Formats: sequence, structure tokens, C-alpha cells
Amino acid sequence: MTTGFSLKRLLFMALVLLAYVVVMAPVLTVIVISFFDQEIVSFPPQGLTLDWFANAWARREFTDGMIFSLQLAALATLIGVPLGTAAAYGLHRGRFPGRRAISGLLLGPLAVPAIIAGTALYIFYIRAEFILDRGVVGTMASLVAAHVLLTIPWTVRLVSASMEGMDMKVEEAAANLGAPPRVVVWRVTLPMLRSGIVAGCMFSFIQSFENLELSLLLVAPGKITLPVAMLNYLEFRIDPTLAAVGTLQILLIGVLMLITDRYVKLSRVF
Amino acid sequence: MFLLVFPATLMVVVLLVLPMLGLFRTSLNLYSPQELMVQALSGENYLDALGDPYYQRILLTTIGVALLCMVLSLALSLAPAYWLARMRSRWKSLVMILTLFPLLVGNVVRAAGWMALFGTDGAINAFWRSLGGETLQMMYTPFAVVVATTAVVLPYMILTLASVVEAVPRQTEEAAINLGASPLRMFFRVLLPQAAPGVLAGCVLVFILSMNAYATPVLLGGPGFTMLAPAVYEQFVSAGNWPFGAALAFVLLSATLILTLAVSLFLTRSLKRRTR
Repeated sequence: MTTGFSLKRLLFMALVLLAYVVVMAPVLTVIVISFFDQEIVSFPPQGLTLDWFANAWARREFTDGMIFSLQLAALATLIGVPLGTAAAYGLHRGRFPGRRAISGLLLGPLAVPAIIAGTALYIFYIRAEFILDRGVVGTMASLVAAHVLLTIPWTVRLVSASMEGMDMKVEEAAANLGAPPRVVVWRVTLPMLRSGIVAGCMFSFIQSFENLELSLLLVAPGKITLPVAMLNYLEFRIDPTLAAVGTLQILLIGVLMLITDRYVKLSRVF
Repeated sequence: MFLLVFPATLMVVVLLVLPMLGLFRTSLNLYSPQELMVQALSGENYLDALGDPYYQRILLTTIGVALLCMVLSLALSLAPAYWLARMRSRWKSLVMILTLFPLLVGNVVRAAGWMALFGTDGAINAFWRSLGGETLQMMYTPFAVVVATTAVVLPYMILTLASVVEAVPRQTEEAAINLGASPLRMFFRVLLPQAAPGVLAGCVLVFILSMNAYATPVLLGGPGFTMLAPAVYEQFVSAGNWPFGAALAFVLLSATLILTLAVSLFLTRSLKRRTR
């Protein structure tokens, strides 16, 4: 805290390091063991190999799970982000009663634990099956609907944050200069909200992709998401094949974060 | 403008509010082995959940783990939060991303990492044995669950604390130091009380997340160590007792709510006392 080298300063930095070791250790471990040569994880490794990535690719549960999760996350983002963006904009600009209540409600999915929301939705879907007389649980549509629930609060939060302190009079100026409403929306409003929308897309996609608890009860056998497939596998063992899948997921999320960071400073999101 | 807000609101009402009401209604029904569920308006499931020593123990375990994780993550986050908040170099945004990154990687992957660290042949045991120690049993212990859950929630605490510390002007610190306070005294007597809303927000968030942890206790606690969120799931999947599972879900929700209020009251009072 004081400048210069001292024992206190050293202790302080050791505490900082300790926190980051605790946070990063599991992530780094997954990456490291995905290159281990032997099937049963033991330290130190006998050698290093890339075989496990091929092995992971050959396992249907992981490739199917990965593709399914990617589709699910993409669809949920595609539906949830426009809904959330429209809501955030309406709440910011609109003057109607119950605005505070609604904005609280839209953040609600963050407040209800996902495992409880998942069980509630499960019962809800089963009831819907009786009423509609057709399968609901396990269908893509029902899972996308559930995951849209994850994307709305993040989008509302991030787009609202990006509108703070923004001068929306530019819209009026454009309209006064003769731009029709459609042009104002596409050429003025949306570009102004871009950073919020990009951050909203990234968070929505990642939240949906890595979600376990909400999907747990809602997936059907044979059509499971990647986190559910990984959990099922992990209940028996941890091996380099699973670590390889984990490493791919870590890589995907890292790349998404770096791309997003080019558009919006992620450091300002929190 | 209301038309813009309407679709998202409708989604949340249909997919969250109505199902939650349905879950509550289910919790008042009764279970029968023949028909699975009998319509009723009864508080029996709640009495069972709160009266059964087995579930009492699960509830107490859950609360204990959550409180422990909250205290540990607060203690661990003070130094890095301060470091991050006062950082001025161009590395700051990189450090921010690195802090955020593990949060987004997902609980399952991180739990897998801890399994490889804590296992009998895991990294920690391999290191310990090379020093001549005996094999440590870490997997399937409360220790493993607490450490891994703390690691899961720690980034939230660091980021929340860092953002409030950043808002406290540097001059305040310098004034305290110039008036003769030691850095530690300055931190606990001057900086922390000013950052109180952040400490509170961080603690509440971390407490809620730990109370509701699922993947970490299932994978690292093993079958012998049960927390409430896995117990809710268990009722639906294995036991098939929906009314009881629904009641357990609301026990978990209300315990979280009541304790969140208690934690906020306690923290607000103890942080106020610090300034005197």
C-alpha cells in the first residue's frame, strides 16, 4: 500500500496472488490434464499427447452435446437479446406506471436459483403437456424458452447500463432532420446501443451455453446439453477426455470474451 | 414504449412467475405412492421438511457451508479487490478479464479441475507425497466443497468490492495515512466503512450463490454430503415426490431470504461500529 519494497507490501502481494491461485487453479488444471498421456489422471504425467481431443471428438455424448448446446445458446441469444434490448430501451425512455416493478421483474431470473426455476418449469411443462396433449419436456422449443429466461436479465442489465448518461436527443435531431422512424432506429438508436447489445449477446450466449442447473430436469435422454453430459460423465470419473472437452469450452469462452472486449471494455461491465 | 417492454415481461411472467406459483401450489399437495400426487391444501410437506432431522441436518449444512464460503471469500477478496481498484497500468483491463473469465467458464468445468486437484492421485496429493506426506483424503469432504464453492464465488466478491473501492477517492486514504494511521488501520477504519455498500452487496450475492450451489456439492461432496439444492433435485428425479420437493425448494428460498436479511443487518451494524 505504501510505495517501495517492504515486508508488508510483499505480504499484500502474496494475498493477491493467493486469491488468484484459488480462482485460476481449477481452470488451469483442466487445461493441463487434457494433455496428459495416461488415462487415469495422476501427477506427474508420464508424457504428453493430443489424443484425448480426438477421443473426445469421437464420443457421441460430447459432440452431440456440444452441437446441441451451441444451437441452444445461439437460439436463446437470438430471441432473448432483441426482447431484452427492446425492454431496456422502453424502460429507459418510456414514462408509464409500474416501470420500477417491471424492471425488477425482468431481473427476476437472476434472483431465483436456477435449480428451483428449473423444477418449477418442469412441473409447468408437464402440466402444459396434459393441456396441449403433446410432448413439451425435452423439445428444443421448451429448452430455448427456458434459456431465453437466462438471457433477458443480462441483456436488460447491460443495455440499460450502456444507456446511462447517453444523450438520446440525437434521435430527435435525426427525426427533425427528416429521417423516418425506421431509419432512426437502424441508423441512430441501435448503433448507439451497440456496446450494450454486444456485451448482452456475449453474456447471454455464455450463460446459456454453460448453464447446468436450469437444463438439468428439462433435457430428454439422448438430447442433452454439454454441461449435463459433462456432469453425468464426472459422476463416474475425471479423465483427460473430459478435460479435453473442458479445455475446448474454456477456449471457446476465452475467444468470445476477447472478441467482445474489442467492442466493449469488459472492465466496465461490472 | 410499453409495447417494447411487453414481450420480455410476458416471457418472464409466463416462464418464471407462473411456474413459481405452480411450484408453490404443488408444495401444498400431498404425496401418495399409488397416485404420486393428491390435490390438497396442506402444510404437511413443510412440517415434514422442517421436522425431519435428516432435512434439518441438510439445511444446517447448507447454511454452514454458505456462511463459511461468504466469510472466506470476503477475507480472500480484500487484497485483490484493493489491488485491482487502485491499479492504473494498462494491464488493468487484462486483469479484469482474467477475474471475470473463471466466472464464465462454468461450474462443471471448474468442479472437474478441483476433482483432479483433490483426488487420491491428484496434483495436491502427488506433491504432498513427494514431500514424504501420507495420502490425504480430500475428495468427498466438506473441505473440498467449501474450497471449491469459495473459488466459484470469489470473482464476484473481488469485482463487486473493487468497483466500490474505486469510487472512494484516493485523497481519503492519503489523508488517513498522513494523519498517522497505519495502512492496515486506514484500510479497516477508513476505506472499508466507505466501501460498506459493496461489502454488503458482495456478501449477499455470494451467500445466495453458495446456498444454491448444485454442481460443486454433487461432484466434490459425493453421496455422503448433501446440500439443499441437490436434495430438491433428488426429490423430483429419484424419489418422484413432487410436493415434498416443491416444499424443500421453498424452504431453501425462504432460508436464503431470511438469512440474507440477517446477514445484511449484521454487516450494516458491524461496519457502522468500525467508524467509531
